[in-house]
Amino acid sequence: MKNDFRLNYPLWMMAFILLLGVLAFGLNSPITEFVNTENETSFTIKLEALEGFLVFCSILLYFAMLVIFMARLKKHNKENPSQKISPLAIRPPEYLEQDEGMTYITRKAVQKVYSFITLALPLLATLVILLPLPKLLIIYGILAIAFGQYLIYYLEVRKHFKEETE
Amino acid sequence: MLKNRVKELRARYGFTQSDLGKRVDVTRQTIAFIEKGEFSPSITLALKLADALETKVDDLFWLEEEEYNEK
Repeated sequence: MKNDFRLNYPLWMMAFILLLGVLAFGLNSPITEFVNTENETSFTIKLEALEGFLVFCSILLYFAMLVIFMARLKKHNKENPSQKISPLAIRPPEYLEQDEGMTYITRKAVQKVYSFITLALPLLATLVILLPLPKLLIIYGILAIAFGQYLIYYLEVRKHFKEETE
Repeated sequence: MLKNRVKELRARYGFTQSDLGKRVDVTRQTIAFIEKGEFSPSITLALKLADALETKVDDLFWLEEEEYNEK
């Protein structure tokens, strides 16, 4: 159970969110040029050296992580044919619901996440309305909420499993 | 709070948490949560546990005296 892919799924999502943050930083200040004449229609994005490097590295890392993630997912599905995870499923795969004890733990974690979202989203919306925040900061705010929800969920579930093994 | 003797009776029968879990069709973790009193099982699961441990439900589970008397 400790090596159950569903337990570690939030960690994967947190890593992807962090990477998305780096990518957002890299793409934040590109020089864009849009040409639309009778002879030419083009859209150019010019990146500075550091931003370009960050974008290149984060995209590369993103695909590398995606490959490992899919391999782990495939391994999980092979080892747990009754609890397969579809990468395209709408229902969050981190839910542990194989019996009532697991459902109870999941419900407790989801309640905490819900409480967090209930506070965090209106707070972010208020900040965006009241303050002239740059686009990157708004993106980071959204990513922070997404990161926070996975962190809360992971820590809550882990807490129960940690107590259980002691 | 719901108290129980699951751990005591399980040990008496020489079952591991996994053994008992298999008998009542739940995971080992769920048995551990019940033993710690962290989670109160449904009536169905309580009946299955009592059956697996060859006892009555009210011998296996009971409400803590103080709380019970307050109500």
